[in-house]
Amino acid sequence: MARRTPRIQRGGRLVLRYLRMFRAFASTEFQFEMEYRGNFYLSILEMFLVIGTSIAAVLVMFGHTTTINGWTLPQMIVLLGVYYLIQGGVNLVFSPSFERLMEHVRAGTLDFHLLKPVNAQFLVSTRHLRVVRAADLLLGLVVVIVGLFQVGEQVGVGAALLFALSLVFGVMLVYSLLLGLVTLSFWFVRVENLLAIFWAFTEAGRFPVDVYPLWLRVSLSTIVPIGIAVTAPANAIAGRMDWIAVALLGAGTVLAVGIASALWRRGLKSYTGASA
Amino acid sequence: MIRIYRQLLVAQIQAAAQYRIQAVLWMLFSIIRPVIFLAAWTAVSNAQGGSIGSYTTSDFAAYYIALTIVGHLTTAWNSFEFEFEVRQGRLSPKLLRPLHPLHYAVVENLIWKATTFLPLLVVCALVAATFNVQWHGQWWHLALFVPSIVLAAALAFMIAWVIATATFWLQRINTVNTLFQRVGFMFAGQIAPLALVPTWMQVVSYSLPFAYFLAVPAEILRGGVTLEVGLLYLVGQAVWLGLMIIAYRFAWRAGLREYSAVGA
Repeated sequence: MARRTPRIQRGGRLVLRYLRMFRAFASTEFQFEMEYRGNFYLSILEMFLVIGTSIAAVLVMFGHTTTINGWTLPQMIVLLGVYYLIQGGVNLVFSPSFERLMEHVRAGTLDFHLLKPVNAQFLVSTRHLRVVRAADLLLGLVVVIVGLFQVGEQVGVGAALLFALSLVFGVMLVYSLLLGLVTLSFWFVRVENLLAIFWAFTEAGRFPVDVYPLWLRVSLSTIVPIGIAVTAPANAIAGRMDWIAVALLGAGTVLAVGIASALWRRGLKSYTGASA
Repeated sequence: MIRIYRQLLVAQIQAAAQYRIQAVLWMLFSIIRPVIFLAAWTAVSNAQGGSIGSYTTSDFAAYYIALTIVGHLTTAWNSFEFEFEVRQGRLSPKLLRPLHPLHYAVVENLIWKATTFLPLLVVCALVAATFNVQWHGQWWHLALFVPSIVLAAALAFMIAWVIATATFWLQRINTVNTLFQRVGFMFAGQIAPLALVPTWMQVVSYSLPFAYFLAVPAEILRGGVTLEVGLLYLVGQAVWLGLMIIAYRFAWRAGLREYSAVGA
């Protein structure tokens, strides 16, 4: 009389299992990172430098004006914080994992990953963390909060919720693009250069996407969604995003992740473990 | 020496020809940041009625396009590569050769710039058209630009090598690199033309080498300086180049004594 467990419960268990796995990855990587303590602290120092100089750049600009395309200084600070939040999130988990993935594809060692009894996409997306980048997340958050205090107005629960949602969507949007790019390595083997361009373009996220001329905006927001990813949460805080816009962003994100996963599965089929 | 360089050039051209697309892709790095700041300053300038200080919107465009060209021609990546060479033990065999490693780097650097310059100009022309550039220079601005850009490229190159020698003592110089990059970002004229930054920042820029490898040649190319000031800038560039060469010779000699050939 085996009773079948309800689907919801099984789903919950699955999520728990993956969360546990992720925690194991994180703690292993943390131990690795702590082998080089000096380097760890220096990386944090570097981030202070990077964020500090970026804020200085914005301050120099606002020495000559009070708004840029309708963005006030506090709103720009929030935007900058979001920029580092998203970069931190992506650099914490996805980009170190994807770097290894490309190596695995080239060396043919991806086989070992594929043999493990877990979802391969989950494994290659999250297996390696650069733990120190968690500090970027924290710093980004501090910058956002400082900006918020300067905005002065009360930020309602609604706006905060919209902010958090669009932030998650933004990170997932960037994730889907990265996954798509990295998947190309199944066919072209060397795609680091594509990634390098991607990183070069992400620079543009430090200003609201509406300052760019049309051709750049189109390439930023469609090919490189970083523009959307950064501007949307900052807009939400500024009260310029309503639920419909966030819902649209969510739908777009789900679509993007779907397409990227489909591409990943296609790519996996043409993986031959060439050099293994 | 000329014969050696000719041989090195041929070898490097052949090596570079294998990675044509890669070379062009890396060129994008030279373009993106100036264009981003150009877009932002255009927005600021338009919000202020078309000009800030002595800079009109099209002056900003001219400045940042000049900055793109200068930034490209002064790129030096040895401070990033050198650490890798030391760690992988690739430096040791190079030291055994009769020619100083610096010369290989010079040729490599020149070839990359020569091969990517034309595509860069095409992209710059596109950007110039989008942002409605106007050039207000005289013929002597162009004549002055030639020695200025040569000095600037040499200066940036020597600074990169001075930083690179830090590897002998520190093994990993990521942080030193980031430090220099970010201070350069603040003071070399990337975030704004130097005339528009606060006075204390201008003082830092012009009394340290930062202004001389980026902002100075860009201002000259834009046609934004008088002849006297332009000549004065050239002197500043030459002085800093001399200082960097001296610093490099000291650091290199002391560093080699420290070098333990870890990776070899």
